Amino acid sequence: MEEYAREPCPWRIVDDCGGAFTMGAIGGGIFQAIKGFRNSPVGVNHRLRGSLTAIKTRAPQLGGSFAVWGGLFSMIDCSMVRMRGKEDPWNSITSGALTGAILAARNGPVAMVGSAAMGGILLALIEGAGILLTRFASTQFPNGPQLSEDPSQLQPPP
Amino acid sequence: LPASLGRSCLGRWLLATRGWALLGTGTGTGSCSCLRWRHRPPLLLRAARQSIGTQAGGLRAEKPGDNSKDVSLQRALNEETLVSAAQKVKEAGRDFTYFIVVLVGIGVTGGLFYVIFKELFSSSSPNKIYGDALEKCRSHPEIIGVFGDSIKGYGEATRRGRRQHVSHIEYVKDGLKHMRLKFYIEGTESGKQGTVHVEVKENLETGRFEVRYIFVDVETYPRRTIVIEDNR
Repeated sequence: MEEYAREPCPWRIVDDCGGAFTMGAIGGGIFQAIKGFRNSPVGVNHRLRGSLTAIKTRAPQLGGSFAVWGGLFSMIDCSMVRMRGKEDPWNSITSGALTGAILAARNGPVAMVGSAAMGGILLALIEGAGILLTRFASTQFPNGPQLSEDPSQLQPPP
Repeated sequence: LPASLGRSCLGRWLLATRGWALLGTGTGTGSCSCLRWRHRPPLLLRAARQSIGTQAGGLRAEKPGDNSKDVSLQRALNEETLVSAAQKVKEAGRDFTYFIVVLVGIGVTGGLFYVIFKELFSSSSPNKIYGDALEKCRSHPEIIGVFGDSIKGYGEATRRGRRQHVSHIEYVKDGLKHMRLKFYIEGTESGKQGTVHVEVKENLETGRFEVRYIFVDVETYPRRTIVIEDNR
């Protein structure tokens, strides 16, 4: 199809960064709305104003940190794809680990290792879930072509 | 130089810790360098005074602390006898719910880990077979001639643009498991694309999959098929 003829990789970074920002901003907005609502003085007006203030302050911060995580992850992922020349779940796991390590670089090497482990494990779980979903979705449909014979491109066996 | 500055500044701000106004009026002349020290030393001395104060206060507070510990222990014992059966049941129910939630979480996580391990490390996973077939393609001279030196391999494109999923079908024929894979390769030379078809058959003695055939369809105008391996 024409839309898949384009190489996904460099543009995927922008896609992932924006998607992560949206997730962080919306999720953070909901959480901060509830938190701001609860931590305000009695009275609906106060509470609404409090929750609006909380959203305005905190939701962009959360969206920003999600966007940094997503953008960095996608950059490392695309670089690995380019280096290895193969698209694998291994790319995602290593990218997650490296992203976690880089983002914890300010806290010293031990924190980097811990953060890398967490990032790698998180991405392994996400990849596992993705694989499960794809396998499950593909077994929903009954078998397509009949597979009793070898493809016609091969010469008859010697 | 900093030591002498320190001593002179110390003299000046020791006088002025009580009121900042003194500093402003009295030390206007030639104390521009001292003004810089205003911010750090007062904090240091104040912090030191505070820590000494709390240490002494802490030592004194130990004794009433013991008493309060005894009192709190007695109060806890008294309160326990007042806990009714209903509360115990409620707490047990809550603990049980938490336990179930933890179990479900561990189960789901364990399941996902198992799936990803099987996918990455078992030799009968489609990903492994795809990797081996790609290696064989990369080292085949005819493929290198058509596609160039660095060959990229990828699978089906999902909606997000990631192409990790390799399309595969498993079927059983004559009591043996077969698997067919299809992935795409692309070379740097003039963007030629090709489709690689792989079929593997299970070998009952070793329990692993061995290759039955590998061939590549090159998408040029007179369609060309390169057979890499044929073990039928």
